[in-house]
Amino acid sequence: MTEPREIFVRLDRCQGCHTCELACAVAHSKSKSLYGAMAEQPRPRHRVYVEAVHPNTPVPVLCRHCEDAPCMHACIAGAIGRNEEGAVITRADKCIGCWTCVMVCPYGVVGRQLEEHKAYRCDRCEGRETPACVAACPTKALVYRTVRDFSSDVRKTASTAMAGPQGG
Amino acid sequence: MASGEKRYLIVGASAAGMAAAEAIRSIDKSGPVTVFSDESDPPYFRPLIPFLISGKKEAADMALIGQGPYRGAGIDVRLNSKVESIDSRARTVELKSGEKVEFDRLLIATGSRPYVPPEIEGTGAEGVFTLRTLADARSAAGRVGRTTRAVMLGGGILNLKASFALLERGIKVTLIVQSPQVLSQLMEPGDAALIRDALNKAGLEIETGVSASRILSGSAGVRGVLLDDGREIVCETVCIGKGVRPNAAFADSESIHVDSGIVVDRFTASSAESVYAAGDVAVTVDPVTGGRIVTALWTNAVEMGRCAGLNMAGRPTAYGGTFGILNATQVAGVSFVSMGIVHTSGLDYETHVHESRGAYRKLVFSPDGKRLMGVLLLGDISRAGLYRFVIRERMPVEKIKSQIINHTLHYGHFLRSR
Repeated sequence: MTEPREIFVRLDRCQGCHTCELACAVAHSKSKSLYGAMAEQPRPRHRVYVEAVHPNTPVPVLCRHCEDAPCMHACIAGAIGRNEEGAVITRADKCIGCWTCVMVCPYGVVGRQLEEHKAYRCDRCEGRETPACVAACPTKALVYRTVRDFSSDVRKTASTAMAGPQGG
Repeated sequence: MASGEKRYLIVGASAAGMAAAEAIRSIDKSGPVTVFSDESDPPYFRPLIPFLISGKKEAADMALIGQGPYRGAGIDVRLNSKVESIDSRARTVELKSGEKVEFDRLLIATGSRPYVPPEIEGTGAEGVFTLRTLADARSAAGRVGRTTRAVMLGGGILNLKASFALLERGIKVTLIVQSPQVLSQLMEPGDAALIRDALNKAGLEIETGVSASRILSGSAGVRGVLLDDGREIVCETVCIGKGVRPNAAFADSESIHVDSGIVVDRFTASSAESVYAAGDVAVTVDPVTGGRIVTALWTNAVEMGRCAGLNMAGRPTAYGGTFGILNATQVAGVSFVSMGIVHTSGLDYETHVHESRGAYRKLVFSPDGKRLMGVLLLGDISRAGLYRFVIRERMPVEKIKSQIINHTLHYGHFLRSR
């Protein structure tokens, strides 16, 4: 199996424009279009949350698909499992809306769709090559990489910065 | 079997037992794992059984293996196999059939059984149920057709869920609660007003401050309940939901320390070598209060079972304990989460209560105000997991206290509150 990719957040790049939220909601709508999504009932929900920390720092937060996913083990209905790409998926047909996953998620990223009484969360856009939030992010604050590639990028950026304009 | 392989036996095929079996398999790919169940149904998600009564799910929809993290690969589950005794020195268990089975590592995950108050007379009558197993739920569902009214003894979550299952089948339901309010284990009477209103609106009849003294029955089984205030309620079904007790009686108490449940150390090991315990049967520690507790929660049982499985397979893993209260659910359209210390009347905690239309919350801090100890959220339970994290990690709350009190806390505050 190839190493799965994850959605990483580069906090220094986020401008707080909320484009990711919009793209996420559209990607999880029935119509898959902005205008269609706006008219849909129940209202399509976004699963990435651009939170604000005082005084004015935006922080995108989304499911980390934890290796030891507390939600998956806590689920009393067997509704939460892992797909082949390693993403933690909530199956709406199995979900009974007991909200145990909401209670145990340390990131606070499991949402409740009250109309249908189901929990929802990031599914890394199953079936799409790149998750919608990542594709939509205008500043590339969200990236879709393997852990190895992402940490290598971080190291390169840091060493370039330390080496200065001479380039080492 | 190859020499040097460990033989794992697990007694009990519910949350703790099956989670342990999967955890063992995640490390030890070859040592035989055998799980004994005294039930005739293959492992299932026990909290779902009220749906069998409402008719919303069938038994097959509740099956555990193949769902969520449960693969069941390489795990031998033996049904109808009641373990009668354990000999921890000889490392054997004896089944009801007389068969003796050897083990190298044993997990006691026998769970708990419903508590039936002995002071209530007539609980042996046909039509009196405790909802613990799928078999119990089937029997209760089988009596629905002959039931006009059901009386539920006990005001906890299980009975509330069962009540709604029966209401959905068109049965009138009376809930008899000894305490002054429903859900008294999870919140104080003053906290429950929102839920009480919702339950009343949903058509549930609730009598608080009374208890049943006798169940009346005739040739067709239950025909009523006599209350301790002298009133009699005509009904055809009675459900007893008065809590549970650990199934620890069969453990060999000469070498296994039993104190209501099986006492385990930080690594989920009992006092007998190579014998572990997890789930409702185990006595563990509450990190909030530091006290010893037994809990009866699926979520706790899974966490503890996984930990036991890792330890049994040779990966030392400390169990951090669990809160005595750690519940989320939705009844009558009201979501709620209750965790940690939420009973504060007459105690010295710093509490913050906020009430608005359709929502209620109570945040409980230590007397010095520096630590979060408990949270009760009704209505708006969003991001509740953050509070669990703050409580469990005993985080200093100084920099995030106003966000906690105002229920605006989000993960970004953890990153940027330095």
